[in-house]
Amino acid sequence: MDGTALNQPWWIDLLKAAVVINVFLGVVAYATLIERKLLGRMQLRYGPNRAGPFGLLQPIADLVKMVRKEAFAPAAAADLLYIVSPLVAAFTALTSFALIPWGPVWSIGGYDVTGWVADVPIGLILLFALGSLGIYGFIVGGWASGSKYSLLGTMRTCAQMVSYEVSLALSVLGVVLMAGSLSLVDIAVRQQETVWFAGPQFIGFLVFFVAGVAETNRAPFDLPEAESELVAGYLTEYSGMRWGLFQLAEYANVVMLSGLTVTLFFGGWGGPGLPGPIWFAIKLACVLFVMIWIRATLPRLRYDQLMRFGWKVLLPVATLNALVTAILVVAV
Amino acid sequence: MHPVLDSYLPLFIYALLALAIPASMIALSFVLSTRPSRRTRARTLPFESGVSTGPPPQQRLSVKFYLIAMLFLVFDIEVVFLYPIATMIGDIGWFAVAEFGFFLAMLVVPLVYVWKRGALE
Repeated sequence: MDGTALNQPWWIDLLKAAVVINVFLGVVAYATLIERKLLGRMQLRYGPNRAGPFGLLQPIADLVKMVRKEAFAPAAAADLLYIVSPLVAAFTALTSFALIPWGPVWSIGGYDVTGWVADVPIGLILLFALGSLGIYGFIVGGWASGSKYSLLGTMRTCAQMVSYEVSLALSVLGVVLMAGSLSLVDIAVRQQETVWFAGPQFIGFLVFFVAGVAETNRAPFDLPEAESELVAGYLTEYSGMRWGLFQLAEYANVVMLSGLTVTLFFGGWGGPGLPGPIWFAIKLACVLFVMIWIRATLPRLRYDQLMRFGWKVLLPVATLNALVTAILVVAV
Repeated sequence: MHPVLDSYLPLFIYALLALAIPASMIALSFVLSTRPSRRTRARTLPFESGVSTGPPPQQRLSVKFYLIAMLFLVFDIEVVFLYPIATMIGDIGWFAVAEFGFFLAMLVVPLVYVWKRGALE
């Protein structure tokens, strides 16, 4: 928060960063299991249920399998870029979660422990910047694979993410106007003092959510990896742990986006009775469930429909929403 | 340390961890991975359904995607300029709203233009 001196030495930061990133990785790993389980149930089958009770050890089994696979690169690949690009994708996806607050400030033994890893004054812009950097991982990875399916998938990814990024940034403008701050902690606190922005910013929320689902390349916007036409898009030539890192990046982005939705529109960690992090987890799980539900329900869009929807529907609606909000914020 | 930079310190610590963990995963996969004894030429060719013809020649990207990228640059930069106004709008009042509206109009005009020129098809 702004200038309030927190008694928080660097080793608490280090400790908290280590805990948060590991919890986050755990959540991301289990998000894959939850998705497969839920998709299975929605299609009247069980989903993975062999590794451990109810398939609970499946993510660990997957990890061991991927690490043991051959670190393989096709002959046409540009070696260094081919290896580094999954790293870039995973790094940006993991880092962006540092900005999302999940609890209030606690005083423990004379020290202040904040319920967020980092609160920077330009949090929201930094988050979008990291998201844009993450696209490089996909572009470079697809290009460096030296395969035509990868290249096609890459170009699609690039065009789609870039198109929806504009709508995403514009839809959040309404929230920034109402909160008067770009810091995610301030935005969450403002909602706890007044009202969840999902109410007054309902149109902004809809645009944000749709653009966010498109931004994370999930169905019905999963054109970049449309398996029926592009094999697997930018992932085609990847296998083993590097494929795993791209997968990790994708799910990390999904969980991060759910967290961002909760922070921007559903009051962050605020809620009656239960402690902050538990409320945050409950809300995040709900948003995650809706995203999986959407994937199970909607068919994939056609490519020209996708681009048209982004530029001709979402962008004008988001612009109008920002303007009306600006007028209302000053008038009321 | 400067108070503003202070708020970035935890982010840097976290980012280092976020870099180290995936990097260690890649490194581990080199150490632990199994290598097949036989290497055939077909394995290293790019994926192709049907006859594999070897690596594709250097391809040119279609201009359509350059167009999208340029549109993105124009719009996204304008949106980034809108953020500072948005944070201050309550303090400044109607003048800021006018500025805001003017800036949004600058965003709508090129949108209408490229729409009419058919660049969004």
